[in-house]
Amino acid sequence: MINIEIDGKLIETGRGSTIMDAARKAGIHIPHFCYHKKLSISANCRMCLIEVEKAPKPLPACATPAAEGMKVHTHSALAVKAQQGVMEFLLINHPLDCPICDQGGECQLQDVAMGYGATASRYNEEKRIVMHKEIGALISTKEMSRCIQCTRCVRFGQEIAGMMELGMAFRGEHAEIMSFVNSSVDSELSGNMIDLCPVGALTSKPFRYTARNWELSRRKSVSPHDGLGSNLAVQVKNNKVMRVTPIENEAINECWISDKDRFSYEGLNSPERLTKPMIKQDGKWLEVEWQAALEYVANGLRQIANGAGAEQIAALATPHSTLEELYLLQKLVRGIGSGNVDFRLRQSDFSSDGKQQGAPWLGMPVAEINSRDRLLIVGSFLRKDHPLLAQRVRQAVKSGAQANIVHSSDDELLMPVANNAIVAPDNLVNMLAQILKALAAEKQAKPDASVQGIEAGSVATAIAKSLASGERAAVLLGNFAQQHPQAAQLAALAERIAALCGAKFGFLGEAANSVGGYLAAAVPFGGSVQGMNAAKMLAIPRKVYLLLNVEPELDMQNPQQAMTAMHAADMVVALSAYKHHASEYADVLLPIAPFTETSGTFVNTEGLAQSFKGAVKPLGEARPAWKVLRVLGNLMNLAGFDYDSSEAVRDEVLGGVDIAQRLNNTLQSVSIPNPQSSILSGLQRVANVPVYSADAVVRRAVSLQKTHDAATPCVTLHSSELKKLGVQPGDTVKVSQDNASVNLTVQADDRQPAGTARVAAGQAATSGLGAMFGTITVERT
Amino acid sequence: MQMIKNFFKTFLLLELLKGMSVTGRYMFKRHITVEYPDERTPQSFRFRGLHAQRRYANGEERCIGCKLCEAVCPALAIKIEIAEREDGTRRTTQYDIDLTKCIFCGFCEESCPVDAIVETRVFEYHGEKRGDLYYTKPMLLANGDKHEEQIAKDRAADAKYR
Repeated sequence: MINIEIDGKLIETGRGSTIMDAARKAGIHIPHFCYHKKLSISANCRMCLIEVEKAPKPLPACATPAAEGMKVHTHSALAVKAQQGVMEFLLINHPLDCPICDQGGECQLQDVAMGYGATASRYNEEKRIVMHKEIGALISTKEMSRCIQCTRCVRFGQEIAGMMELGMAFRGEHAEIMSFVNSSVDSELSGNMIDLCPVGALTSKPFRYTARNWELSRRKSVSPHDGLGSNLAVQVKNNKVMRVTPIENEAINECWISDKDRFSYEGLNSPERLTKPMIKQDGKWLEVEWQAALEYVANGLRQIANGAGAEQIAALATPHSTLEELYLLQKLVRGIGSGNVDFRLRQSDFSSDGKQQGAPWLGMPVAEINSRDRLLIVGSFLRKDHPLLAQRVRQAVKSGAQANIVHSSDDELLMPVANNAIVAPDNLVNMLAQILKALAAEKQAKPDASVQGIEAGSVATAIAKSLASGERAAVLLGNFAQQHPQAAQLAALAERIAALCGAKFGFLGEAANSVGGYLAAAVPFGGSVQGMNAAKMLAIPRKVYLLLNVEPELDMQNPQQAMTAMHAADMVVALSAYKHHASEYADVLLPIAPFTETSGTFVNTEGLAQSFKGAVKPLGEARPAWKVLRVLGNLMNLAGFDYDSSEAVRDEVLGGVDIAQRLNNTLQSVSIPNPQSSILSGLQRVANVPVYSADAVVRRAVSLQKTHDAATPCVTLHSSELKKLGVQPGDTVKVSQDNASVNLTVQADDRQPAGTARVAAGQAATSGLGAMFGTITVERT
Repeated sequence: MQMIKNFFKTFLLLELLKGMSVTGRYMFKRHITVEYPDERTPQSFRFRGLHAQRRYANGEERCIGCKLCEAVCPALAIKIEIAEREDGTRRTTQYDIDLTKCIFCGFCEESCPVDAIVETRVFEYHGEKRGDLYYTKPMLLANGDKHEEQIAKDRAADAKYR
């Protein structure tokens, strides 16, 4: 620790910290533009010039290391003159278009100019003009003349997003921020550049010219998308969500949010929103009152329960539902006498049900990922499924960690990967077994009985060596591994690997409430009444389906089977925020409120329960789903359905419960039958859920749907497979699975393991196909 | 003594004469009464009357929808909605001034960076029913078109003081 004096205040600061750090710690404001606490120091804006005694010239506070006994003046005549001078230079080329600038009112340049600038400029010459660039559907660069070349966006791309998509070209007065020729900014974190930009050069395209920031009221909320539970500031005007920005929470999302969190609000204002309860009568949809709709549902449920039996009732919910909704859904269904309730819609292997000792979670706090030194990430489209967790992994790798990947798709992770084991889906178990075997050898431990006959290959040995050499390792299972048909075996092997190298073992939660669903007991096991899991409910069709914001053709592991079951059912009740394909097979549509219009709780992947309040009133006659389910409970004359608030529901679920006690990744007695390599013949499907197709809200976010990540799916094959088929990349091929086929464009990617075909799920174009795993055929058309 | 004075005052009508002399004096002085509407008082070029929205000489509306007037209005009389026009410029889709709320403080024209919203010299306007004094964008633009000459003159006269 060293002592320095800033403006007469004695401050103790760490060795190696800068004057800016010390001043921030002491609450002394030094004006700045290019400095950002999460980015590297570039010291190019010169706004933070301050006077240091005995230094001949003013020094930049952000780049000057604090030294023992330093005396700093931030407001001395010299400092103020330097700051004013810099401000004047910065304003030479900055257009005076604050009135039409979306940044106006929240602009750092505007604020600092008010505080440190002169009243008028001495510069009368023409200002420079920078032509605008087209860099995609999310960021508007219409006014690049406003740029002050702080390079925060460039450094963000390089350091946080992992990909330098914007750079500074040319020099001096000709310096411009631009993307590579004709390329757009496609990072899944790109929206943060809008927040970082201290002026109005990079602004939000969807928000452009729709409101001024002083008109917006900021309401706290929690992201309903990925498992991280980012803290959001939902900004509202006239009862409409106008934009979403991050709320800083160092333990969860730091000061970032992913583009999915930021721009999916457009889906909330979608014209597809369902605003009135509807009942289908004689094939025609009628708008009805809530009372009528709910009574219709209650009667239907009662009839089936009394006639065909309660076990004919099945309930499916998305893991993006709140804890309260999931809890009340299972309480309702169990109250009727059925245990068929599940939220794990894309899971295919349920054999660990009951063997898992608690809710599967990350195995550690999110912030701990940064300090891991060895990582084994199994089956995860990490960057797209968990953009901010990927960012944390990237930071860990940057500070020396080794990332090892076992997956069926070699997607660019934008970080150096130590070892990459890319194998076909049916080889994943074998690969993990090899790693376990090699690790046992490395640790000189007795190998697990299940991997006795396995021969560890070179990649597996390298991964084992990497894991064994670390001190703080982590083994993480991604969405792909959890959706895998041998998910239980993968988890068991991963757990054993973690145990052997003393690593943390965790699951990357797919959705906002992947952990909460277990706590709410919205699973067929563990509750008072046992029942069927999500896959079984569809494989053995039920008579009644209750869908809580589920779009079966997009959200399920096997959309084809799901749709067959829906069409065959006697009654399908869709609680949905949107009018979607449910109108084809459902009998009742109940409009429910998305996350901004309801209060609720999400339990994120580290087991942190975050409650939020509604930011706006429900649209039209939509109602929070917990209220709908509560009234349904009343109409069914079930006991314990008299909650006054969602908080009451939450307290019933979580009150007096130590969530940490309920989280447990330990698997007991999962057998690993001799994990052979290559079981399946023919092409195997590798299905990712594209980042902007993952849930109902984001699917309707117009701008996100214009990005590259939302492009129409194609089928990606190894070029040797293309040769076998005799087609060229870009040709249309016929892709068939389970007696259904679609025509897709074919692409070659040699990083895809041979024998696999990557066909995305969760998109309309591929929703006719079968399960996300299994064999698939690709033919010439 | 006082009693004698009062006695003479009573029947000599001195007060009346005094009063009448004032009346008589004013009878021959120049009248200051303005016979509105035939005559009018002079107006300052800063007169704050009916609002108007101006256009540029090429017919383009001046307002860029910055909403500063809406923000500054102490009576909350202004309501603005904005959107991007097809040509990419920022324009208002709705610009309403509720003149029954307006207190004619002139802050709106003071805050306007492009001199779009102005208060004209017009003060003779009325509404016959509720809502007549709720001025919408076309009405304000029509006002501007009608009085542009005077408005421009007034701005020019005021320019050196701004």
